[in-house]
Amino acid sequence: MTTVLLVDDEKLVLRSLEKTLLRAGYDVITALDCKSGSEAFAQNMDKIEIAVLDLNMPSFDGTPKTGAGLDLLMDLKKQKSSVPVIILTAYDEVTKAKDAVAGGASAFFVKGREQGLVELIRRLLWVA
Amino acid sequence: MTDQRKLPQILYIEDSDEARSLVRRLLSLKYVVLEAADPLDGLQLAEETHPSLILLDDDLPHMTGNEAATRLRKMLPDTPIVILSAGISNGARERALAAGAVGFISKPIDDMFEEQVDAYLNGKVEKLENAEEYLRAYQQELVERLEDNIRQLSSTVEKNKHLLQQNQRMFSMLERRHKLLETAARVGQMVTSILDINDLLKYTVNIICSEFNFYYSGIFLMSDDEKWAVLRAGYAAAGRKMVAENYRLHVDEKSMIGNSIIKQQAQIALDVAGKESRFKNPFLSDTRSEMALPLIVNSHAVGALTVQSNELNAFTEEDITSLQAMADQIAIAINNAQLMSKLEVATAELVRTKTFEAIATATGEAIHWVGNKAAPIPGSIKRVREDLIYLFALAAQLNASGVENESITAAVQTVREEADAQGIDLKKVFAEMSAMKPNRLQALVSVESLMEDLNIAENSAVTILGIKEDLIGPARQRSLAAVSLSEMIAGTVANMGLPDHVVEMEWADDMPDALVDARQVEQVFNNLIKNSWEALSQTPAPKIFVKGRCDNNPDFVLVTVKDNGPGIPKEIQEKIWVSFFTTKGGSGGTGLGLSSVMQIVNQHGGSISLESEVGKGALFSVRLPIAK
Repeated sequence: MTTVLLVDDEKLVLRSLEKTLLRAGYDVITALDCKSGSEAFAQNMDKIEIAVLDLNMPSFDGTPKTGAGLDLLMDLKKQKSSVPVIILTAYDEVTKAKDAVAGGASAFFVKGREQGLVELIRRLLWVA
Repeated sequence: MTDQRKLPQILYIEDSDEARSLVRRLLSLKYVVLEAADPLDGLQLAEETHPSLILLDDDLPHMTGNEAATRLRKMLPDTPIVILSAGISNGARERALAAGAVGFISKPIDDMFEEQVDAYLNGKVEKLENAEEYLRAYQQELVERLEDNIRQLSSTVEKNKHLLQQNQRMFSMLERRHKLLETAARVGQMVTSILDINDLLKYTVNIICSEFNFYYSGIFLMSDDEKWAVLRAGYAAAGRKMVAENYRLHVDEKSMIGNSIIKQQAQIALDVAGKESRFKNPFLSDTRSEMALPLIVNSHAVGALTVQSNELNAFTEEDITSLQAMADQIAIAINNAQLMSKLEVATAELVRTKTFEAIATATGEAIHWVGNKAAPIPGSIKRVREDLIYLFALAAQLNASGVENESITAAVQTVREEADAQGIDLKKVFAEMSAMKPNRLQALVSVESLMEDLNIAENSAVTILGIKEDLIGPARQRSLAAVSLSEMIAGTVANMGLPDHVVEMEWADDMPDALVDARQVEQVFNNLIKNSWEALSQTPAPKIFVKGRCDNNPDFVLVTVKDNGPGIPKEIQEKIWVSFFTTKGGSGGTGLGLSSVMQIVNQHGGSISLESEVGKGALFSVRLPIAK
């Protein structure tokens, strides 16, 4: 079964996305910030086929940071450059998310219609 | 001893101190010697004392000895008068006798003097041969003297008149200069007192006209493109009318104003009929003299001052110098006023920009925040819908398995019919379910999952709605009372249920009560301490220091809340006060905490500030008014 790493500091968002992904048939590993996300990835590198990261969350030093998701993106790519990464964003941050894609993310996803994320993951993994 | 009062009195009229002293020495043993240095004093003294003998020097100030003798003779006909004379001219003795003297003694006096005096006292009268002839000569002398006196007098009167005129001129010049200086000083004062440019210009033209009696004065300022000199203030009705009609002159050499600006030099026309450069002005047809003074600041002409008079040659050199000095001051004042109004415009623009920025940020943050909080709702509801359909499909099977309860049977029937009406094919769903593996199906009909999704949706909605309280909170009616902040904050901290020893409080003994709304201010400190605690989530030995004392400004009490957390980066220190901005992400902050804290503190007339560096914690300082 495909395993997804899901990192978001909004607990309700995290849980809701997790459930949606579970229902869609994925295994989900969750984390609430960059540091634990990076550690979870390191421990499950072989299993995790795709990572979904929030754009804004606590950075590696624990302080909240705009665009911390990009730091984690770089960290994951360093650990395993082939892993596809989706950046989660609010709809008013699309420009930043596009920058993220330019910086190595496979795609960005505007939070809201969770089913859309499932479709996006499917498409990315099928391509991969 | 001789009784002085019985001695005969001799009056000696003589302007030389030495001569008087000599005579006094010679005569004072036998006579009382009365002295006068001036013939006018002598005449008065003679009238008062009626002396037995009068000795007269013949060379006296104001009048001759002979004249004095004539007058004394008329005043005291029985008193013998003797002229003492250096006697150099021929006929001096005769003229003295003709004038009314009884005798003539030549100076210098000798040892015969006392005897001579005795003789005259005893009635000696010298005889004058040809008395008629000498009398005529004496009268002729008197007439000449009189004429001479008249000439001198009229010349003195002339001189006095001239002096008086000169004094008057000097006085009015001084007065005018004083006025000029005073006016210049008043204009100078305006530099600091009037910063509204229109007031300044109006005031200036009024002063110039009222203080110097010029019938018109006006101030032109350069247009932005510097092609026109635009009249901005003018004296009286004509001035107001010209300003209203937007009177302006090309900055060229055709007008005195234009010329003064171009050449940066005063232009003066003492008789405007002879000046072609004067721009004929229908409003000011009475102008006979006119000057245009450039208003120069930093070698740049900002405009010009015109002063006009209905008299020819109205301006003295002094007027021109003073008015130019004043124009220089006016120029500085105008420049200041212009700078001030530019500054005001710039400030207003800045405030607007900042306000728009703040609103845009707040709106952006609000949308972002609401978007984040609402994000899980559609997903959860979608899952609940799916779960319910599976559960309905299960429920629809109840009748088939032979339930014998009428109500249940009816309910199951309703489920079937309504699902049908909604286009839900429960039979098909049931068939799908039957094909699933047990664990997959269990996950889909999990009551726990369903309840969790309902909770997710509910909590998200509650969080979004909860913002209402934070938004409205500061706007509530305040009821101010004297509050002991130390007691209030200690109570707040106790109720927050933080671990022991995290919060340390320190209160100055003389800390005064604050005049605040207890409920709102409790909210302030609750928010600040809560924020600190949340910032300390990753800090090994979390500490929050709350300290209170009287502020340096004695009208305020100062409470500081300091933590040893990660600190707040410079770039977001401004933003933390903005509504909806939150760094807390998942921990559920509304982003309204600090903005409402600030609002509450400001509404109390207090202030709040933040000092923080990354890695060095954060220090919030709250100042609130004391209760007096």
